[in-house]
Amino acid sequence: MLASFGQRSPDEVAEEIGSLELTWLITKVELRYGVMLDLSDETLARMTTVSSAVTTLADVLAGAEHV
Amino acid sequence: MDRELLAGADEDVCLHLGTPLTRKELRELVESAQGSLAQAGLRGGGTVTLHLPPSLGYVASLLAAWRIGAQVSLLDHRLSRAEVDKALDRLAPQVVVQARDVTSSAMSGYATLTAHPVARPDGVPAQTPHALVQLSSGSTGPSKVIARTSDDLLRELGTYAKLDDYPRAGTRIVLLASIVHVLGLVGGLLHCLHARLELAFPDRLTADGIRAAVTLSNKPTMLLGVPFHAELLTADPRPMPSLTSMVVAGELTRPWVPTAFTAAYGVPLGSMYGMTELGVIATDLSGQLAPAVAPAPGMRLRVADGELLVAMAASPYVGLIDETRWVDGWLHTRDAAAMDERTGLVTILGRLDSQVSIGGLKVDLTEVEQTIGALPQVAACVVSFDGAIEAYLVLRDGSVLGDVEAEIADQLAAYKKPRRFYVLTELPRTATGKNVRDRAVLRTAAQAAPTVSR
Repeated sequence: MLASFGQRSPDEVAEEIGSLELTWLITKVELRYGVMLDLSDETLARMTTVSSAVTTLADVLAGAEHV
Repeated sequence: MDRELLAGADEDVCLHLGTPLTRKELRELVESAQGSLAQAGLRGGGTVTLHLPPSLGYVASLLAAWRIGAQVSLLDHRLSRAEVDKALDRLAPQVVVQARDVTSSAMSGYATLTAHPVARPDGVPAQTPHALVQLSSGSTGPSKVIARTSDDLLRELGTYAKLDDYPRAGTRIVLLASIVHVLGLVGGLLHCLHARLELAFPDRLTADGIRAAVTLSNKPTMLLGVPFHAELLTADPRPMPSLTSMVVAGELTRPWVPTAFTAAYGVPLGSMYGMTELGVIATDLSGQLAPAVAPAPGMRLRVADGELLVAMAASPYVGLIDETRWVDGWLHTRDAAAMDERTGLVTILGRLDSQVSIGGLKVDLTEVEQTIGALPQVAACVVSFDGAIEAYLVLRDGSVLGDVEAEIADQLAAYKKPRRFYVLTELPRTATGKNVRDRAVLRTAAQAAPTVSR
């Protein structure tokens, strides 16, 4: 998902996630899973790396309502 | 002020932040903000700094301060505490307006808050007749203080009015860029108030949130943002019937984006080029000149030694003057450009100095490097940019990278923080002892260095 930002290959995606990539990731996740993710600053602050974003989104999606 | 920005029929909707706001309601908010600022001691010729996220409180405070006749300086709400303290030392405002009871997240298009003016007894009144003061990203040494008069702001509003494809009364703009910076402030907020059209802010800055803001109204709507927003929408195209165009500025658009955007939405992706010092300088609103832009009405441009220069009667800088930035009536943009002498069209090629753009926000790599280099844990540092900010570090004995990152979080706004860190035992240097800045050399040195734990 993140590699599609800037048309990169997956190995060009760094582990650290910036704010633009985070916006991109959330848009893509909302599209794929048909959900609206209303994430707090605390939740967003936890998503600073690819690994932490995966863990956080998995938790959020488990409790998300589909739209 | 009242005539230029606040006039208009009572019932006309001028702003939309979650709910519509009429001109009458805006005038009442400004009146109330004016009372709060006066109570904090702000007078005509006084100084006030707004340190607020985009919000109704920001808009009301800005207009109220101008109505009082004060000089207003703007600070991005994303700056770190250390950066804000440094800026306030420099600006010495008599009043600072801070946010209280903020409800928003980093993904919000605006915040709801209470604007709270705080008097600063050590602040000083305005030393110049300027209405607006902003700090540059500081390409070399301390950041520059950029100031604009109300006449110059009105001149820029006149320029927008003369641009054929820029939205007029009866239409609307959905704003994705920050109203703390010149594009969103003048091209978005002030233009909409001045030309009497509606300015809407999306609830959320995701593709879905932007679409929701556009489709909320049947009025012809232009999107105004940075190239990232166009990419975001292009990746997930869904109908927005009222969208008439999108215009982006703040950084170069990747070459494939305009075609992909138009294929997705059937409307042009235009671009603008401008600077805090002058506002809009050149445009391609129809997207037909890309990658070139045409000088905006009243702008005189030339290219000298590969650098774009813009004619400007007076220096826009106050306080510490960089004598190489404004010389003999020409502003040196520090942007590399090529000009077609026959048509006058200009193609911007990129920066000539150490400034980069992160999602439209200007970041000076020298400032980042100097901040990190001054940390007690860091013996030496080189910062470079390769699609993201990277830092190559030599740590002092006993220091660990995690401590450096924690310090950086205190010192620098999040968007200025390096995305990648490489810890080396020594930095590569030239024969004369200067730090090597070639990324290939730095990467090779980093690959040879031992892995470092955070």
